[in-house]
Amino acid sequence: MKQIVNIEVNGDVHEVAAEPRDSLLEVLRDHLGLVGPKRGCDGGGCGCCTVLLDGRAVYSCMVYVLSAEGSAVTTVEGLAEDGQLNPLQSAFVEAGAVQCGYCTPGMIMTATELLADGEDLDDDEIRHGIAGNLCRCTGYQKIVDAVQNVARNR
Amino acid sequence: MTESAVIGKSALRDDAYEKVAGGQGYPVNVKYPGMLHAKILRSHHPHARVVRIDAARAERLPGVKAVLLPKDAPQKAYSPVYFVPTLAASMVQDMLVLSERVRYVGQPLAAVAATTPAIAEAALELIEVDYEELPVVFDPELAMRDDAPQIHDGVPNNIAAHPKFEFGDLEQGFAEADYIFEGTYETQRVHTCYMEPRVCVVDVDSRGRVTVESSMQHLFGLREKLAFVLDIPESRVRVVKPPYIGGGFGGKLDLGYIEPIAALLSMKTGRPVRIEQSRYEDFISSARHPIKVYLKTGVTKDGIFTARYGKSILDTGAHATHGAEVINVHGFFGFLLTYPCQNQTWEGYTVYTNNMVGGGFRGYGAPQGAFAVESQIDEICEKIGMDPIEFRLKNSRAEGDPHPFNPEFTLSSYRFEECLRRGAAQFGWVNREDRTRTENTKKRGVGLACQPMWVSGCLGFPDIYEHSGAIVKLNRDGTADLAVATIDLGSGQNTTLRQIAAEELGISVEAVHITQSADTETVPFDAPSHASRVTYSAGNAVKGAAEAAKERLLEVAGTMLEADPQDLEVREGRVSVKGSPSGGISVGAVVERAESPFVQMTAVGPQPTTVAEKGTIIGVSSMAPASNPSPATAQFVEVEVDTETGEVVILRAVFAHDLGKLINPMGAQGQVEGGFQQGMGYALMERLQFDPENGACLTPDFLDYKMPTAVEMPRRIESIFIESNEPTGPFGAKSLAEPCVIVPAPAIANAVFDAIGVRIRQLPITPEKVLAALGKLEAN
Repeated sequence: MKQIVNIEVNGDVHEVAAEPRDSLLEVLRDHLGLVGPKRGCDGGGCGCCTVLLDGRAVYSCMVYVLSAEGSAVTTVEGLAEDGQLNPLQSAFVEAGAVQCGYCTPGMIMTATELLADGEDLDDDEIRHGIAGNLCRCTGYQKIVDAVQNVARNR
Repeated sequence: MTESAVIGKSALRDDAYEKVAGGQGYPVNVKYPGMLHAKILRSHHPHARVVRIDAARAERLPGVKAVLLPKDAPQKAYSPVYFVPTLAASMVQDMLVLSERVRYVGQPLAAVAATTPAIAEAALELIEVDYEELPVVFDPELAMRDDAPQIHDGVPNNIAAHPKFEFGDLEQGFAEADYIFEGTYETQRVHTCYMEPRVCVVDVDSRGRVTVESSMQHLFGLREKLAFVLDIPESRVRVVKPPYIGGGFGGKLDLGYIEPIAALLSMKTGRPVRIEQSRYEDFISSARHPIKVYLKTGVTKDGIFTARYGKSILDTGAHATHGAEVINVHGFFGFLLTYPCQNQTWEGYTVYTNNMVGGGFRGYGAPQGAFAVESQIDEICEKIGMDPIEFRLKNSRAEGDPHPFNPEFTLSSYRFEECLRRGAAQFGWVNREDRTRTENTKKRGVGLACQPMWVSGCLGFPDIYEHSGAIVKLNRDGTADLAVATIDLGSGQNTTLRQIAAEELGISVEAVHITQSADTETVPFDAPSHASRVTYSAGNAVKGAAEAAKERLLEVAGTMLEADPQDLEVREGRVSVKGSPSGGISVGAVVERAESPFVQMTAVGPQPTTVAEKGTIIGVSSMAPASNPSPATAQFVEVEVDTETGEVVILRAVFAHDLGKLINPMGAQGQVEGGFQQGMGYALMERLQFDPENGACLTPDFLDYKMPTAVEMPRRIESIFIESNEPTGPFGAKSLAEPCVIVPAPAIANAVFDAIGVRIRQLPITPEKVLAALGKLEAN
């Protein structure tokens, strides 16, 4: 039995008819047509689907969309500022942190939360901060570099 | 040679801009109007015959549009491996799209297409299957016994392939040895863990033309294999090139079950059909084969090999798939060719079991061999008291030597010694007896391992495709469109190829664009993105196409500048007479002239141009590479072993690679850093596990299958690139992609031995094994 859910995604308000079993990820990808959140495992194991839910990084595959009623969601599509990549997105490009890129949007959303409080981050803090996001291409080195660069240059 | 404008300078990937903003180009995002979603029913039994299968209830479920059963699928045996001709004699044709005989848990048995994935999933529950269970065998050595269950009819002892190669006189070699070493080294089944699942959309139109979009590593292989299975001409299958895919690493190098199943369901329904594998389905669809390697090695007291014998038993699971080829690559590049020795024998067994099938994975048989060979060299050095660098250098080849695999070639660029020397210098390698030891419970150790010989593609390999093609088309704004069939799995090959085209054309890398719309109808054939081949092989083809375009460009420019084309050059986007860069014209202006109307109206009236200069400026190439040069690699690691918990932490990792000319430094570093993660996971953590009774996968997700996160990785992976100049490579380049995955496991195993004095010959080196080796835990 479908129910109506109201969620704000990247600043736009949506009214979505969803099954109780539908995850936030399914709604973002399959109902709203967003491609940033990726389905990598559908089981809370890889982090490719990470989005911000009211500012907190969550695995969107593990959130029932009905529980997100009234919440504000940010996906990687919502980060650009005035049509330009934001500093974190640019840092990923410039540091070579993107290879296949399938983990990238989730990684960027996790890093967004990590950087949100404005504190300095050392290498260890960044690594522990992104430990819930798997990457198979980069060995994480350049991802850590990208996050570090943003933390330092703000 | 003039200084490179583009080659050797880090270039940013243009796909990265798109990927950080969402990434529309992945096959997982492909949607067709009216598309159905299919799910696959998989066997619960490791070995059984289906005696009854009834889908009547499933067919009645609202939303279900078609059910596919074994009786609906062509019963035509095939090998799914992309890079070999379908009926290659070297391969084993033993798979069916759907069969009433199942040989492993998870083998597809039926499929349902429905209007939503949830309905398709629900319908699977309504298909009734009765099985007649058959005896099972999961251990390849038990499977080779005379009394073992027969997994495939007509394959005695379940041996799908048994290559054997003998060189020299093995017995004589052992007679000449001062020492003989024996050891058995075992490796486990691991998954590539590409992040984007295998996914496809197949649309069969009313005239029977098949369009396929899929997350895979080979456009033309998919076309060939799918056409064969469906028994239709290749020209009726159009495979669309994805702009990029979410990783492959060898795990998408064969026809999945999903493409033929989606095609058959599309034929039945007249609608496009999409199948996306779950992570569980990915985990049981492809893996690096476990290989048990027995080595017997003779050496003199001076550290020279006199005889080498190797025997490898490869568990290929329910079907041969890649196992018939991996065993050979393993035998040659994992053993026979690694270090020269007059007297060598190797034999391999590719053995059927009721385990999941294997697949490709970076290294393709070499990681299993390197773990054995490089571990044993350490054991030899320990016994005869020789430094492992000195031992390897005594037993190595040199630049200019004949190529050991392709005798018609020489090792025209080869800097193995430099890899060892410069790696050791940067690492600060000291002889074992001079190392300082700590007295606490955390023990540090250092180790090294090498991959002395590897490939730049597959030229010279029996039955393996190896040629490339490219189209370079110049635009009126001075840019170039580059069309190739090779798919960028994430490694950055598109950027490398753009750099090669830009260098040859004399324009900036930003001015070269890889066409986003390409398919098997529009681009020349290419072998897959595999075997460390794209930079070298596709790179040569791209250079060839760019040369052809440039030749035409200079012809037209010659008429404009009233100069002999031979006297012209292109630099920074301008054509000019050599040595007079100020005088020239822009590339764009030349293209504009070539594409302009024949007669141009000017202030002084109509002005004809010439017929000779008219036409699109385009270059096309399709060619096999001239050789198959070997890169060389050495790696050094430092570990810390906690003797109370058994945990191994990597403190330092230094790689030294002879890769020919370095094209994109940042991209190369990224390849190596990611390669180390895959090699380290293999060494310490990763293992697909199965229920020993019923064969069910016990590690079907990332919570149970452990791969390294950012936390387990060493804090910095150091890459030294040793630039030899490969005369047959594009601007001197050869290859890089795989050795960085091959060498970490033996380097880490050797470092663990150095730390705790106990040798672990079974991967992965888990805390349990470390504690057991230290006598602190009973081995299980």
